[in-house]
Amino acid sequence: MASQGSFKYVAGRLAKIPQAVLALTLIGLICLVAIASALQLPLSPYAYDQTSTLYLAGPSAQHWMGTDELGRDLCARVIYGAQLSIAIGLTTAGVAFVIGTVYGAIAGYCGGKIDTLMMRGVDLAYSLPDLLVMILIGVLIGRGTFGILLALGLVSWMGTARLTRAQFLQLKNEEFVEAARAQGQDHLSIIWKHLFPNALGPIIVALTFTVPSAILSESTLSFIGLGLSPPACSWGTLASDGWRSLRAHPHLIFFPSLFIFATVLSFNFLGDGLRDALDPRTRLSKLK
Amino acid sequence: MLTLILKRILMALPVLFLVATLSFCLIRVVPGGPFDADKNLPDEIVANLKAKYNLDKPLPEQYVLYMQRLGRGDLGVSYKYVSRTVNDILLDAFPVSLVLGGLALALAVLVGVPLGAVAALGRGRWQDTLAMFLSTFGISVPGFVIGALFIYIFGIQLRILPVGLWESPWHMILPAITLAFSPAAYLARLTRASALEIVQKDWVRTAQAKGLSGSATVLKHIMRNSLVPVITVLGPLTAILITGSFVVEYIYAIPGMGRFFITAVMNRDYDLILGTTLIFAVLLIMANTFVDIAYQILDPRMRISD
Repeated sequence: MASQGSFKYVAGRLAKIPQAVLALTLIGLICLVAIASALQLPLSPYAYDQTSTLYLAGPSAQHWMGTDELGRDLCARVIYGAQLSIAIGLTTAGVAFVIGTVYGAIAGYCGGKIDTLMMRGVDLAYSLPDLLVMILIGVLIGRGTFGILLALGLVSWMGTARLTRAQFLQLKNEEFVEAARAQGQDHLSIIWKHLFPNALGPIIVALTFTVPSAILSESTLSFIGLGLSPPACSWGTLASDGWRSLRAHPHLIFFPSLFIFATVLSFNFLGDGLRDALDPRTRLSKLK
Repeated sequence: MLTLILKRILMALPVLFLVATLSFCLIRVVPGGPFDADKNLPDEIVANLKAKYNLDKPLPEQYVLYMQRLGRGDLGVSYKYVSRTVNDILLDAFPVSLVLGGLALALAVLVGVPLGAVAALGRGRWQDTLAMFLSTFGISVPGFVIGALFIYIFGIQLRILPVGLWESPWHMILPAITLAFSPAAYLARLTRASALEIVQKDWVRTAQAKGLSGSATVLKHIMRNSLVPVITVLGPLTAILITGSFVVEYIYAIPGMGRFFITAVMNRDYDLILGTTLIFAVLLIMANTFVDIAYQILDPRMRISD
């Protein structure tokens, strides 16, 4: 299933879902701008315009999204925010992937009492509100980028763990696994070569949903003032700045919010599309 | 049934104890104390304040003192809202959050479940596409964006609804809708997924085969069974509502639990943080217990295994 051929197959099916293609294009564009700007930014997010009265100005030809209360170019800040927000989303998915699959694989492969005990732990962690846990962790390790990343990683792995475990439980009794065992392969290579590649599809779908929820959590946390603090600027901190001058200068909250929304929406559509593409029961002709 | 409830309550006590202990340790380990922000306080006064609140004692002793008070149902005192006890504050704040959360939950169920059902019954057609677009929209837009948008449109431009505080039913409209947004979308997606599974079941085909009308099949056989997962997610829904309340109460300046929790964290108001966290934990445990009981009522197969 995870061979080269099946990758082409899934990609071909995904290409037939218009929302997913549109989402992928948008994500690609935002990532491209984020990466390009990391190398060379036309306007500095910190440079402020003191020569004119260009502070708190609305959108113009020179400053596409207007300027903030210090005359800093909002467009540059939103692009800079994209780097941080996207990086946070992807890193969280990475952490969730590593912790979740290892944890789920152990539980699913061992089964029995170990499984029950490990899953009780997941249930407990799963039932706590993410933001509550993140705020408490944030109190403990501080609110730098590292603290936020750790907190996000710690609240995001449970779904992946549950999924991996369910897949492993189902797969480990299949004939090809039995055959591998009969050949005398050790546990590790059975897990790595036979179970893991076959379980990968749904796990990737779940991770696609982890990215947007991490971006949402970070921006919400920063918005209420318990996330990243200045001078770091993510979309969440920009929206938080804009919130304070909502009445007079709505453009300051509008643009960062628009980017959070567009990115999160794209990832959610991509996740839905991937799930449909991986599910052989979906008839794609009907989806049009 | 009664034994199940009793069992659940007995199981909840150690969990609450664990939550209290963990949060206690977490908060006291952190650098920075409740009196750091008050600058220029002479050392003697800080020492006096700490002595007054027993913060000068070694940690294990503070822990024992806290647990003893907790055992008597006393959640402690606030260091910032001087002369108010945590019980006092939470007694005022809890009903506010309860009303807000209840309204939002009702709204989410009333909008989300029908939306999901319409999507599932018209699978692949325009109803489905529209409903799914709306619900994906709903889970993608952060609460603070909805809140800011509502405040801008209804409060600043149109000036027809109050956008802050908690004084009359008018004050409840915007916050309740804002808070209901993401749970409604979540419920719609869930209802759709669960109804799609059930439409394929044999007994639905049987119902149709024996000549039951379309609407009777939908209401009695499909929807009734699709509602089981909706009730079982009450636990996660409560968690979503609690998370949402942090943002909504912050934005609309509502004196509820979420807002007190956030300010307490900012102020390192130890007892207030612990108190709110414990109440949240109680709420979650109650929601999950309710789910277990509802499960047994709705799905007779679950009773046998008890």
